Amino acid sequence: MKKLKQLPLLFGLGLQTWAGSAAADVATALHNMFTLPADTSAINTKAVAMFFGFVMVSLGITFWAAKRTKSTSDFYTAGGKIGGFQNGLAICGDWCSSAALMGVAALIYSTGFDGLIYSVVPFGAWPLMMFLLADRLRNLGKYTLADIVSVRMARVPSRTLVSGASLAFVIGYLIVQMVGAGTLISNLFGLNYEMAQVIIGVLIVVYVAFGGMIATTYVQLIKAVLLLSGATFIVFLVLQKFGFSLNGLYQAAIDNSPLKVGVMQPGVLLPDPVNAISCGVMLILGGAAMPHVLMRFFTVPDAKEARRSVAWAASLIGYFYLLTFFIGYGAIAFVMKNPEFLDAKGVIIGGANMAAIHLAKAMGGDLLLGFISAVAFATIVAVVAGLTIAGASAISHDIYANMFRHGQATDAEVMKVSRIAALSLGVLGIVLGIAFKGQNIAYLIVLPFTISSTVFFPVLFLSMYWRRLTTTGMVTGGWLGLASAIVMLVVGPTIWKDIMGHPEALFPYKYPALFSISISFVTMIVVSLLDKSERAKAELASFDDQFVRSQTGLGAEGAVQH
Amino acid sequence: MQHLYRLIHANPRFHELERKRSRLSWTLASIVLANTAWYIIATAFFPKNAETTGLLADIARFWGQPVNEGGATTWGIYIGLVQIVVFIGLVIFYINKANGELDALKDAVIADALRAAGEQK
Repeated sequence: MKKLKQLPLLFGLGLQTWAGSAAADVATALHNMFTLPADTSAINTKAVAMFFGFVMVSLGITFWAAKRTKSTSDFYTAGGKIGGFQNGLAICGDWCSSAALMGVAALIYSTGFDGLIYSVVPFGAWPLMMFLLADRLRNLGKYTLADIVSVRMARVPSRTLVSGASLAFVIGYLIVQMVGAGTLISNLFGLNYEMAQVIIGVLIVVYVAFGGMIATTYVQLIKAVLLLSGATFIVFLVLQKFGFSLNGLYQAAIDNSPLKVGVMQPGVLLPDPVNAISCGVMLILGGAAMPHVLMRFFTVPDAKEARRSVAWAASLIGYFYLLTFFIGYGAIAFVMKNPEFLDAKGVIIGGANMAAIHLAKAMGGDLLLGFISAVAFATIVAVVAGLTIAGASAISHDIYANMFRHGQATDAEVMKVSRIAALSLGVLGIVLGIAFKGQNIAYLIVLPFTISSTVFFPVLFLSMYWRRLTTTGMVTGGWLGLASAIVMLVVGPTIWKDIMGHPEALFPYKYPALFSISISFVTMIVVSLLDKSERAKAELASFDDQFVRSQTGLGAEGAVQH
Repeated sequence: MQHLYRLIHANPRFHELERKRSRLSWTLASIVLANTAWYIIATAFFPKNAETTGLLADIARFWGQPVNEGGATTWGIYIGLVQIVVFIGLVIFYINKANGELDALKDAVIADALRAAGEQK
């Protein structure tokens, strides 16, 4: 009894200590935010000016879009009125995060050929999405992924699973982007980390809460154009140095890299077959089912336009990935042996992630550096905006409107919740970004892709292709898959060994996706087959109707009625 | 709407549409999956020493070989570049088929159903 009484006290004390240290953290954060770095000459004025230009244009668009965002349909999907080409560009903007520009270049810089696995394999997700998912998704969906699933499945359990996993996906991805942005900005602009978090957070809330999907789409669109043209220009300058000879570029890479000929050969990054296959499966299936990307299929009028936007997106993203074949190797050729970009020990300043940025400076001086820095910042802002709108829709449309209000909420109420959700996600992004400052977030990069391949892909694929899938089967498999993925990540080498400092990991593989996807699929199939309930029978019977709708688009949201 | 769905489902032309679409989708999807698998195999099974033999090791070794004797560019680079271009080509091939032939068949199926529904009234 006495022990029990002490419990709240202990808890209170713990909370107090926690609150105390949190308050101290907040104070430091606030102090840092408003202190200019000691060396103000570190502020890259050209980069700041160009980014400022981007911000002004995007805010102008948001103001224009805000007047056009009247209903929930405008907010979530821009009223389904975006054209195929614009949507394709916007999808390209959503897809190409800073990881695609700087991350792939960094991997090639340090491991050579294998870094390209992050270009070619995720790109395989695009044709796959087009052939197997795009038409059906457009024909069945309305605003979110959960809408597709609940065409045939019980509303509350299926939405709980899909919206819960969506939020975990969004928050995990958000932390990665925010922390990346902070580090990047302190390196590039000379601004401090906390200030960067606040700038991004505020911009996102303004874009999403006021401009909804219309503003988000145009922000993505501008960013995609900037990113593609910036990357093209770097590659042009790199190839020009070698008289447009591929052999010249790759020979220079071989000469500079400590890997020598190995830099042109596979086998460095993922020498263990299980990890390599698991990583590959995660990238291709996870890439094909990302909620913030699939949501864009609903911003176009019908399946025809959805296909057109996928074709544009695939061409633009493919083109971008082609450029990564030259950017990473260009960095080896021009940055690796250039003292301007190396510290006293000969290590690249700011880490391998800065390889692409240093390359810009090596090729085009301060002006190109400023431009690429501004592009990188715009890229992060745009991706975070896309994630925020996906998260806000999961909260307002799936959780609030459909689960709590059972579809009885008015448009105005849902809009209000959407805006509050966008604001909360923005604040959460800033708080988490500051909380995770300087921490090893490698595991968080694997998390969104793992969730996407373990939950969203099996759920969408089976609900559209397999007649026998039932709600019970889907929900059991989805939660079990998600839980197993998180457990395997926690006891795996990245967290258990590298972060928590245990000598050996309990689960030997860095990428658990192969196992969690199998658990998810097998459980969904077995439980569905065992499910003999009345609800299961009804769900089975409604497959034909859903199937006709998915194939013809008859009865689809926003489709032209014949 | 449900009535129309039933009418369409009973129409043999609908099943023709479905067969055509799924044959096209799955053929193209398997090409993509096979190509991606090939890429992953090369990365996962690249032999660490010259003595390792076996099919997977040989495939992976091929990727690391220069295209021209004494040149720097390996087969892997060209295969990767060509793969991306081929994937884009497949997507464009699919969209032409789907927005042309398949959509025409789909419109015909819907028209059939609407006509049948009109006659029943």
